[in-house]
Amino acid sequence: MTMWYAVAHESEIEDDTPFATEAKGTPLALFRIGGAIYALYDLCSHGAARLSDGFVEDGCVECPLHQGLIAIATGEPRSAPITEPVTAYPVRIVDGQVEVEL
Amino acid sequence: MIDEVFNPQELVSTDGSQVAYEVFSSQEIYDLEQERIFRGPVWNFLGLEAEIPNIGDFKSTFVGDTPVVMTRTEDGGLAAWVNRCAHRGAMVCRELRGNATSHNCVYHQWSFDTKGNLLGVPFRRGQKGQAGMPPEFKPSEHNLHQLRVESFRGLVFATFSAETVPLEEYIGTTMGGYIKRVFHKPVEYLGCTRQFANSNWKLYMENVKDPYHASLLHLFHTTFNIFRVGMKAHCETDENHGLHSIIMAIKENQDAEAGADYKEQKIRSYQEGFELEDDSILALIEEFEVVATNHIQPIFPQLVVQQIHNTLVARQLLPKGPDKFELVFHFFGYADDTPELRKLRIKQANLVGAAGYISMEDTEATELVQRGTVRDGAARSYINMAKHQDGQTDTLITEKLIRSFWTGYRNLMGEVATGAGA
Ligand code: FES
Ligand code: FES
Ligand SMILES: [Fe+2]
Repeated sequence: MTMWYAVAHESEIEDDTPFATEAKGTPLALFRIGGAIYALYDLCSHGAARLSDGFVEDGCVECPLHQGLIAIATGEPRSAPITEPVTAYPVRIVDGQVEVEL
Repeated sequence: MIDEVFNPQELVSTDGSQVAYEVFSSQEIYDLEQERIFRGPVWNFLGLEAEIPNIGDFKSTFVGDTPVVMTRTEDGGLAAWVNRCAHRGAMVCRELRGNATSHNCVYHQWSFDTKGNLLGVPFRRGQKGQAGMPPEFKPSEHNLHQLRVESFRGLVFATFSAETVPLEEYIGTTMGGYIKRVFHKPVEYLGCTRQFANSNWKLYMENVKDPYHASLLHLFHTTFNIFRVGMKAHCETDENHGLHSIIMAIKENQDAEAGADYKEQKIRSYQEGFELEDDSILALIEEFEVVATNHIQPIFPQLVVQQIHNTLVARQLLPKGPDKFELVFHFFGYADDTPELRKLRIKQANLVGAAGYISMEDTEATELVQRGTVRDGAARSYINMAKHQDGQTDTLITEKLIRSFWTGYRNLMGEVATGAGA
């Protein structure tokens, strides 16, 4: 059964800068693109790297280890060496709190 | 300086019939061979396409003593790269076989694709204000060393040299014809055995070009008094450089009922009490246009194609130093083998390999030569059997294939010397 967890305040999440947090022991990377906030599992599917240490560009996060790209909105791989998606979690804003469902 | 190390005049006679034993134990000559032969204008056998059928499949192997990985790329093609990280030289791939779409060096996690192109390096852009790679860093300038790769009938070869002629031309029409005999339909890889020998790799080359020893060294046949009726010998080299060759023992009157000859032979012992309990080890199910019990075909410098009865092998010869080599026997069958035929192939695998009934003495013999000659570099071998009848091809009592090998070797080692010295 999934639940919503408050993981950050909306104002903490800036454009172009990933935000590292966690819920229930699960590491999360939060991103802001325009008005929307997205949450990805904070581990690259290719190796031992935090996506929250990555670089945001054109709707993708570039992994700091091998520069593979992942689409922030869906978690889908966008370039080698990443071939597997990372989990993207549903996000909602409740009274300025960012909540993630997992 | 190079010419001092390898003086063809002194080491190998022009007709290949005399070879100074130094070529088997000199470190300098060994090092020169790595440059002039294994990294020179030859195609080195890496493995079978059937070993890496799926995208991302890889096998770790060698060209000479340089570690090399062969892969099946995303577009279904073949690639091979030197297993030495473009960063600071670590071996990138540490497994014998596997499947991966990217290869990461464990030392600093540089990541390469199946073709050996650099995908990315950790902290290229630094981290949190700390600097990364300099701005002029271009990943495409730091790929792994990629080799030319070609395959012939499912046999995969690589070359370091841009000068090497295309693979088909390198193999030549005559030798290509014999390869097609064995690789006449799709094969399946069954597995491999590996063995080390404490002797020089060229002693093994001599051995697989030496029909003279066959009935003399190997005791299996004499112990069980297995003589063969209606066999015809065939020995031949390639038409270009003489470094490839074939030895075949061909069965005559092929239309006679299959196996009848064999049964009539009544396998019995030379000495009382020695008898094969199960003579199916020597069965021969006829499956080729030309029926032969033996087909031994070295394709210089790293491959020996072998068909002995119904066991099929691509042997890979890998030098490991002046006095060491490794032999990898890649056993295979045909994709359309019946279960019975497949079982027989695997049973007959006992004939060859490290403990093979008719091959275990080969590396023992090469080691005897190594030990016998190590202190006598200037002394020479005597390779003259049937020299006055060099045109004969239908005999096993000959050393002409070995002479041809040494002449080709001499040219290869000498030719480059002229180029390098100029
Ligand atoms: S660990 Fe993320 S791209 Fe390799
Ligand atoms: S040596 Fe391979 S990454 Fe540094
Ligand atoms: Fe032999």
